[in-house]
Amino acid sequence: MKRLFRIFTNGIIRENPLLMLMIGLCSALAVTTSVSNGLGMGLAMTFVLLMSEIVISSFRKLIPESIRIPVFIIVIATFTTIIDYVLKAYFPDLSKSLGVFISLIVVNCIIMGRVESFASKRSLIEVIPDALGMGLGFTWVLVGISAVRELLGNGTLLNIRIMPESYQPILFFVLSPGGFFVFGLFISLNLFFKSRLKNTEESAS
Amino acid sequence: MKGMIKLGITLALYATAACVALAVVYTITLPVIETRTAAELETALTDLFPESDSFEEISGTIQSSDDSIEFANVYLLKKNGKAMGLAIRAIGASYGGPITVLAGIGTDKHISGVKILENKDTPGLGANASSPHYFVDRDAQLTFYGQYTDKSIQDPFELKNDVAAITASTITSNAVNKLVKVSSQAAGNWLENNTGGAQ
Repeated sequence: MKRLFRIFTNGIIRENPLLMLMIGLCSALAVTTSVSNGLGMGLAMTFVLLMSEIVISSFRKLIPESIRIPVFIIVIATFTTIIDYVLKAYFPDLSKSLGVFISLIVVNCIIMGRVESFASKRSLIEVIPDALGMGLGFTWVLVGISAVRELLGNGTLLNIRIMPESYQPILFFVLSPGGFFVFGLFISLNLFFKSRLKNTEESAS
Repeated sequence: MKGMIKLGITLALYATAACVALAVVYTITLPVIETRTAAELETALTDLFPESDSFEEISGTIQSSDDSIEFANVYLLKKNGKAMGLAIRAIGASYGGPITVLAGIGTDKHISGVKILENKDTPGLGANASSPHYFVDRDAQLTFYGQYTDKSIQDPFELKNDVAAITASTITSNAVNKLVKVSSQAAGNWLENNTGGAQ
């Protein structure tokens, strides 16, 4: 149980896919201009990651080594297309604002990386906490970055005005260079958390 | 050789399973997506012409006079079987990709309203074109697209002259303005030829 919990927390800070492994950055920076986008993208990505890891882990003995990559791509692409249809049907606004980045989940390195290095070798019971942890790690960073960018760049959070009417939005934060700045700040924040985590673990043992 | 065939069959099996799963999801979501799109279109059209009671799609009968602008759909709005005006969904290029505008032009040769359906321009700049909270005239609470309402189609449609532009977003302002201008002139001509001129 403790081992499973450790797998789950791994993706949140210690091996955060965005801030530590630095993969899957393209979609992370492109969609984080508003909190609703960041949250939507994070959850969509978590769904695809979870389902792909479950399927691939369950069938891992039936996937021949030499064609594993095409099989992974088929599985990931299927779940991405499913979430694309579902968003279009039930969350049209979100689907419109995320646009092409939903389809681009197919080529997100985080999913490919987790599937190849983890799900294809582990049992179902370990794969689920891994997918949830990695997904949560991805989502909290997306929501965090987009909250900073939306608040400073637009004066709103979840489209609700927070800053006073007289606040002149700092456009820089909504544009891509601002995204990189905030992203950099989150990396250092995460390193700080990580070092704190290490210290407490050392003093505990 | 034998191994290759076996691998091929395995891959085909995975692909088939994926196709079946997708087909199921597609069949479930398709009617929802279609009803939603149809409902959105109807709301947009009745927003432009609140008095109309029916519409007819006449896409393809009107061609854009400008190569860079495409008329994707044209709708003829009617009240008691009598033409009230045209709504044109026009697509043109802007700063961050294509921009889609729905322009309503009445038989009185005035624009009944303009809606920006799709806008991929920079948030905070060009995206203001479709924002209901961005005002080109703050006192009158006039939005960028709102300023076209009741405008005569014989106006010159010049930015910073009879059309207010968005600060620091000349490309977006130009793109929208050109779409509205070309659509309304084409619609004006069509209405003149097909409904016996202005009433």
